[in-house]
Amino acid sequence: MAKVKSAAFKKASARAVRDEGIQHALTHVMDHFTEARAEAIATDYSDESWEAMRTRAAAIKAHTIGNLDYYLDLADRSVRRNGGHVHFADDAAAATQIVIDIAKRHGVKRAIKSKSMVSEEMGLNDALERAGIEPVETDLGEYIIQLAGETPFHIIAPAMHKTRGEVSDLFHDWLKSAPTSDIARLCSIARDALRKHFETAEMGITGANFVIAETGTVVIVTNEGNGRMTTSTPRVHVAIAGMEKLLPAIEDLPLFLRLLPRSATGQRTTSYTSFISGPRAASDEDGPEEFHLIFVDNGRLNLLKDEVLREALSCIRCGACLNHCPVYRKVGGHAYGWVYSGPIGAVVTGPMTGMKQAADLPYASTLCGACRDVCPVKIDLPKLLLHLRHRHAEGSPRDERTGTWMERLYMRRWHDAVKTRGALERSTRLGRLLQKPLVRRGKLRSLPLPLVSGWTKDRDFPALAPKPFRQIWKEGLGGDSDAG
Amino acid sequence: MPVDEHPNKAAFLQRVREALGRSEPLLHMPDHPTLKSALPRQEEKVRTVRARVEVSRARNIKRLAETATEASWYVHGPVAAEDAADVVAEIATGLRAKRVVRSSEDVFRRVNVDGALRRSGISATVLASGRSRDRSTLKALAFEADLGITGVTYAIAETGTCVVTPRKGVARLTSLAPPAYIALVEADQVLGSMDDYFALTRLAHQKSRGRVPTYVNFISGPSRTADIEQTLTIGVHGPGVVHMVLIA
Ligand code: SF4
Repeated sequence: MAKVKSAAFKKASARAVRDEGIQHALTHVMDHFTEARAEAIATDYSDESWEAMRTRAAAIKAHTIGNLDYYLDLADRSVRRNGGHVHFADDAAAATQIVIDIAKRHGVKRAIKSKSMVSEEMGLNDALERAGIEPVETDLGEYIIQLAGETPFHIIAPAMHKTRGEVSDLFHDWLKSAPTSDIARLCSIARDALRKHFETAEMGITGANFVIAETGTVVIVTNEGNGRMTTSTPRVHVAIAGMEKLLPAIEDLPLFLRLLPRSATGQRTTSYTSFISGPRAASDEDGPEEFHLIFVDNGRLNLLKDEVLREALSCIRCGACLNHCPVYRKVGGHAYGWVYSGPIGAVVTGPMTGMKQAADLPYASTLCGACRDVCPVKIDLPKLLLHLRHRHAEGSPRDERTGTWMERLYMRRWHDAVKTRGALERSTRLGRLLQKPLVRRGKLRSLPLPLVSGWTKDRDFPALAPKPFRQIWKEGLGGDSDAG
Repeated sequence: MPVDEHPNKAAFLQRVREALGRSEPLLHMPDHPTLKSALPRQEEKVRTVRARVEVSRARNIKRLAETATEASWYVHGPVAAEDAADVVAEIATGLRAKRVVRSSEDVFRRVNVDGALRRSGISATVLASGRSRDRSTLKALAFEADLGITGVTYAIAETGTCVVTPRKGVARLTSLAPPAYIALVEADQVLGSMDDYFALTRLAHQKSRGRVPTYVNFISGPSRTADIEQTLTIGVHGPGVVHMVLIA
């Protein structure tokens, strides 16, 4: 599995905030996405309103996830009826082994890949290289970060943090192309480099945006055409799908094909949507002779088990919650330390990879709710983040607890102190007395207590007002007040 | 030949089931509207779709021309069938195309593309694996061509989409590998929305006892990317120039 570096979230995000290049990219690209989306959902799509579409999509995904065993079985039977192979992989290692076995059986030397987030989870490229198979990413953004040896910065714009200059340098190093600052020229350099791979690669690896259970159809949405190439020219096509990617029937698709591109890039539709139902038929002129679909768990069961977090499995990976998140817009994608970033990354990374190492992520949110408002499948991301915080604090199971005994002790005292009105009044009176020597201009500059002293290291803590609001209210709001 | 079940399937599904708080598989299909619609009901639905498509044909064609233009297709027509071939030849000449590949749908019987191209001094090759042509030759032909021409199965007004279904006589690469592409769309192929298309697809699936086309493409404009500095660039891996010829 790809390395998880989420434990370093605080350090990595501090670094990102100081990185001028990253800040520049974030400021420019994020607005571009949010504006395009706003415009796209303001125009007409069908007889259904945007809100009604979101509600219906949320219900369809919840239904599918709630009956996931049934739909996985149905999809398996449909794909096999179409002549394809279906695999069920518990974790990244198992999924990787399945891909490598297929490649070995066909004597594959080089595999072309269309964008797949699950393969990022698996760290598939590294594993293929170790097995002597050369993986070539064909989505332009993915190709750039593959050359740079990085992970995606954004779900749908993996190389958005790279400037044309950096891309030109990478192409110069790897492809010996002449340096240029012309973006169209850079695209055509990549096109020429990848075209020969399209012509000769023996295996194509893709993700799946949706898998239709009833017909056994894998749906792939792209703009560049690399998805079509990857599923057309090689002899073998392997599609890798998170087990939650299912939809019951083909007529559920129009709704999702309207929601996804509008939420992601603000397009009415992407240039290409491909529907793959098994290997080529004998009468087909071209296309892969063998088709494999791998359903991957890799920690998704931990989301499924938790009745609150289960909702996260409805995600269609549009990236809208990233684009609208004030935290993502500041720290970018790499700080989150694994494959998924932004609000959805903050939710799934812990449960999927291990709660403790991702303990900071549920706090990487202001709970402003922008993500929930834009999510095309109405995932209540703030609720899920709060739920994770609760799990971290209270620790059930116990080994998930990340708070210290002292934190819990403080919280319990705090709870006692504010529990009843009488207790609250007593403790504020006491607090006012105790804070006296520490207050400067209405602020507490440093708290002397262990643990909470960290709170005032980089910021001030508001001191208790000399006169409580309760009393000011009683005296009439316009009344004499020294609260300033 | 049925494909074997994966050895981990049963255990995998059991874990999913238990995570959902059940220990047994469901006895009945879960209640979901698009899955429950049985053959008679679907036939009824498709009759309504066809009737609607029939009466809104003119409006759909007009809408298609708009949405396709917005999606960066060059839209021509609607023109009469006998004039369509000349339109194709004009486009090909304008593109300075030398090596042209095409598919062999029925529309080419009504529209004599080969003849018109020949008059312009261009010869078109049908991209199909004939007796003497193997897989790699077909691939090479497609990658060397500078223009591909196909008919469509349907077009969708909602999204400016041509639905292309590779099969006998229709190679996948014809509409994909060359840098320029022409789609021939006949008036009775134009649908209003994606819903129309998928209603028809599901009925075909039900009627053929679960068979579906192995591959279907929605083509909605040229190949494009914005992966470098969010700057839109046309023609990465697929055709950068796409023409839609509407035939009345
Ligand atoms: S959580 Fe919602 S908004 Fe975020 S990527 Fe998933 S579907 Fe899009």
